[in-house]
Amino acid sequence: MKNLSILVVDDDPVVRRLLQQRLQRENYQVQVAKDGHEASELLGSRYFDVVLTDLMMPGGIGGLEVLEIAKSLYSTIEVVLITAHSSVDTAVQAMKKGATDYLEKPINFDELFLKLDKISNLKTILRSAQDLQQAMDTTENVASQTIQDLEMQTARLQACLDSVETVLLDDSLDEDIRIAKALSLLAEK
Amino acid sequence: MIKITPSELNMIAQYIHEISGIYLDQSKSYLFETRLGSIAEGLGCKSYLEFHAKAKKDLTKNIERQIIDAISTNETLFFRDKGPFELLQHKLLPELIDARTPSTPTLKTTLKIWSAASSTGQELYSIAIILKELLKDASRYNLKLLGTDISDNAVSQASYGKYNKFEIERGLDQRYLQRYFTLFGDSWKIKDEIRAMVNFRKLNLMLPFTALGKFDIIFCRNVAIYFTLEDRKKLFNKIADSLADDGFLVIGSTESLSGVCPRFVPKRHLRAIFYQKTN
Ligand SMILES: C[S@@+](CC[C@H](N)C(=O)[O-])C[C@H]1O[C@@H](n2cnc3c(N)ncnc32)[C@H](O)[C@@H]1O
Repeated sequence: MKNLSILVVDDDPVVRRLLQQRLQRENYQVQVAKDGHEASELLGSRYFDVVLTDLMMPGGIGGLEVLEIAKSLYSTIEVVLITAHSSVDTAVQAMKKGATDYLEKPINFDELFLKLDKISNLKTILRSAQDLQQAMDTTENVASQTIQDLEMQTARLQACLDSVETVLLDDSLDEDIRIAKALSLLAEK
Repeated sequence: MIKITPSELNMIAQYIHEISGIYLDQSKSYLFETRLGSIAEGLGCKSYLEFHAKAKKDLTKNIERQIIDAISTNETLFFRDKGPFELLQHKLLPELIDARTPSTPTLKTTLKIWSAASSTGQELYSIAIILKELLKDASRYNLKLLGTDISDNAVSQASYGKYNKFEIERGLDQRYLQRYFTLFGDSWKIKDEIRAMVNFRKLNLMLPFTALGKFDIIFCRNVAIYFTLEDRKKLFNKIADSLADDGFLVIGSTESLSGVCPRFVPKRHLRAIFYQKTN
């Protein structure tokens, strides 16, 4: 199994079936939706790594709306739009709204798999960066507690040593008394 | 990619130390190559020897700026470590405001706060947000919030006050996000009411900074870790000169001043430590 779950959204049953078969053959986990409404329902019920959606679909919820819904539900979701050559401009606009990429019809599967590989690599890197950050935060938290304890202890010892020094240098006292006082100060630490 | 030789490595490391105080571990030669390589290539240099000579000769200091931007670690986040900001809100600011409020009610209370290595601004904006939350009427106060950094890129991003979703997601809670930021394309921009409270400018902490005057609170966090012990000693000595006698110093949560500057004593408050001057 590959590590990406993909939601395919297309109103054309032939394209839908084709995408599903080809992606499954590549070992991706695939679910399909026949229009924007079904897509938004599925998105509401679970997370997908990638949404592969047709740009133009009937029924009020087109590819741009699917993009918006997906992004508002999951900020890290990747949306790839499938578009006719004539609406490439719209697809470019969509990328400004957070779409990851677009594919022109007819779909070139090599190109699609290449794009999915890239997305997969990116997700892996992002994941390990987050793991590293998490590990670093934990280390930093523990280290900072230790350092704070040491810092307070050092300050206390320093203050104690300073007062011992003052006592030992105090000419107004007998030596015996100075030593006794110094020892009792040291005992308090 | 241009390869760096051991003697060039030594020379470049020394040069970087001279211009920024940053001490780089020479065992990490890949770090020099990955961070400086594209600048050197962009200048058409064939070797780091040539690159070094070009940088030193450049009177516009343009190359020096690029080098500093490339090697400085600007890693920061809003409300980093939380502790220091709780400290600020519940102890340092209330105490200072008490101490600084003039007996004549018409006079404004002045507070000067400095983020001494402000990077891309998150630290100073977090301080400003705390102040805004704490003071019901900020206009009754004369607030001077200054952020400085050696990196031009960092200073300009800080001044602009715009952050992408990764920068925003780290450390900032939803309540503050909604209250103090506006959505700007796919990024967030700090609102003018907070932006207007702060100032950012370029400053190299290795150089004298008495001209900035005295501050009531200084945050100098996670920058001295890049310096040698000797440079750290000099820096915190100068910081002691720039801090009001009853002022407070906050350093990074994994940093220590013991053996660095005897002019400061640590005090503990809940989960954070701050420093005051010994008298
Ligand atoms: C890791 S960031 C710390 C940011 C923030 N204080 C925090 O704790 O999150 C370190 C910053 O120190 C700056 N820096 C390094 N050397 C400096 C110098 N000599 N003078 C001023 N800033 C310096 C870097 O440009 C960088 O932005």
